[in-house]
Amino acid sequence: MTTQDARLFDLGYRSYDGPREAPARAILTLAVFTAMRVLGLGRGARHKVLPAITLAIAYLPALTSVMFSAILDDLAVDDLISYGEYMFIIGSALALFAALVAPEALCPDRRSGMLGLYLAGPLDRNRYLVAKGAGVLAVMLLITVGPLLFMLLANTLAGFGPSAGEMPKLLLQILAAGTATALLYASLSMAISSFTTRRAAAAVGVVLTVVLPVTVVRTAIDSAGAPEELDLFSFAFVASELAYRIFGEEADDGEPIEMLSTLVVTGGLAAAILAGAVVCWLRYRRIEAFR
Amino acid sequence: MSDSSTPVISARGVVKHYGSTVALAGLDADIGPGITGLLGSNGAGKTTFISLVLGLRSRNDGELVVLGRDPQTAGIEVRARIGYAPEHHDLPAELAASDFVRHLAEMHRLPRRAAVQRANDALWLVGLGEERFRPVGTMSTGQRQRVKLASAIAHDPELVLLDEPTDGLDPMQRTEMLALIRRIGTEFGMHIVLSSHHLEEAERICDAVVIVEGGVVVHAGTLADVRRGPEGLVIEVDARADELASILAARGFDVTVDGDVLLLDSADAAYDIVRDAVAELEVGLRRLAPRGRTLEDVYMGVGA
Repeated sequence: MTTQDARLFDLGYRSYDGPREAPARAILTLAVFTAMRVLGLGRGARHKVLPAITLAIAYLPALTSVMFSAILDDLAVDDLISYGEYMFIIGSALALFAALVAPEALCPDRRSGMLGLYLAGPLDRNRYLVAKGAGVLAVMLLITVGPLLFMLLANTLAGFGPSAGEMPKLLLQILAAGTATALLYASLSMAISSFTTRRAAAAVGVVLTVVLPVTVVRTAIDSAGAPEELDLFSFAFVASELAYRIFGEEADDGEPIEMLSTLVVTGGLAAAILAGAVVCWLRYRRIEAFR
Repeated sequence: MSDSSTPVISARGVVKHYGSTVALAGLDADIGPGITGLLGSNGAGKTTFISLVLGLRSRNDGELVVLGRDPQTAGIEVRARIGYAPEHHDLPAELAASDFVRHLAEMHRLPRRAAVQRANDALWLVGLGEERFRPVGTMSTGQRQRVKLASAIAHDPELVLLDEPTDGLDPMQRTEMLALIRRIGTEFGMHIVLSSHHLEEAERICDAVVIVEGGVVVHAGTLADVRRGPEGLVIEVDARADELASILAARGFDVTVDGDVLLLDSADAAYDIVRDAVAELEVGLRRLAPRGRTLEDVYMGVGA
């Protein structure tokens, strides 16, 4: 007969004397948690439907382009969707995704009282917003950078990719265009979401903010002779125009934004990002989180 | 961690006002160690005081030290060592209890694996082990209260703030919850502040109480101090209380009469004298006991 040392495997609740992370770790934890929740990960199937559909819409042009390049033998590089064009094509998917992401990231916390619980832990309002912003930005990058990287990979495999020497530059261009676009949508949608606890209301607000100014300012420019600079309020077009310029392409659609210098377009985009962030920050300074 | 006699929370002249409304008007209190009841009616200033302890609001005047630090300047460090269960029951509905508790444990600096383990341990401790994978939204009020308690203790804080933890519970659940809080406070070395307007809850499980009214502390001390009350006897007879009072006054006692109840200022040698006086008057003696008081006596006294 053999003998074994007795062991207790379930000690139940007891004091914790193990390691603890740095207080700043809470920011990363919340950012990851936010990104996962927005994408429906770890949640029921119905929470995954909208993100999946929107991601599918964003990746569909890249997938189609890749399929054509694989099937058709006599295809030339110019027949494929260009990287600058891609941002323009998925503009509606971007707006839809932005309308989904930030409201889901911010509104339920205020509605359910989670904001108060977070702020009763090792976070303050600024750190909370940094964490939420990082989570929203990470998810937005999935749709702004992800499809372009996918297209680059597929094009390269199909023999339409850049040369080895051009690859780093193209990667940087993809990152720059994708990040600028993601920052714009993240900032604007977070600012709008900070005004309501209802996701649906925030989503409608985001879509209107992206769509409505285009109609208004372009009517003003075309009909009333307003300066072209007013087109900087056509946020979606500012982002796609900058993307075109980052990739060294031209939209050539005759839109007012195309008349502006790259410096002005970049400044307009930066100002919109900054304005969204400041509005959101000011709103959260005033929100009563403790009840 | 503080030693066994150092207050966990020390407030001196704490003032907080919202515009022209004064919420705290120079609050002085030493709270902890052990389990302390923070009592007071709605609007007395309890929630404002808790928000100052957590460093979520800034005070207008006074000094406040929590776990050796000023929460106004070291809020993040202080809050990392505190567990807090709010009064409201609105928790993320579709999140499983284990995910909710684990997430808040991670937010309080526990590594992922430790957070998972301790979330499970805490939920088993509060009696939700079998239910831990259920979405919070499908749980009863009693279960949600337990989830909140589990989330407040999972990261093993030094101080736990519980805001109305028995709100919405039936008598049986309330008894179980109070026993659980008592166990957490005594077995696991956490200091607990129980904010409540249920006096009997504080009497059942607290070591000390702080009663707040109108933004100031009107009574603070251990429950033993509260119960001890003034020296003397309480006598209740079924008739002729005034005549009995006259007899006792003639024997040198200071007597107060309130209906059929007499209060004597001293108990020394009084029992035999009372017995003889009652026999002499031939009245029925309903009660003869040392003077004492309940928390309700104190509360009603200060509230009057």
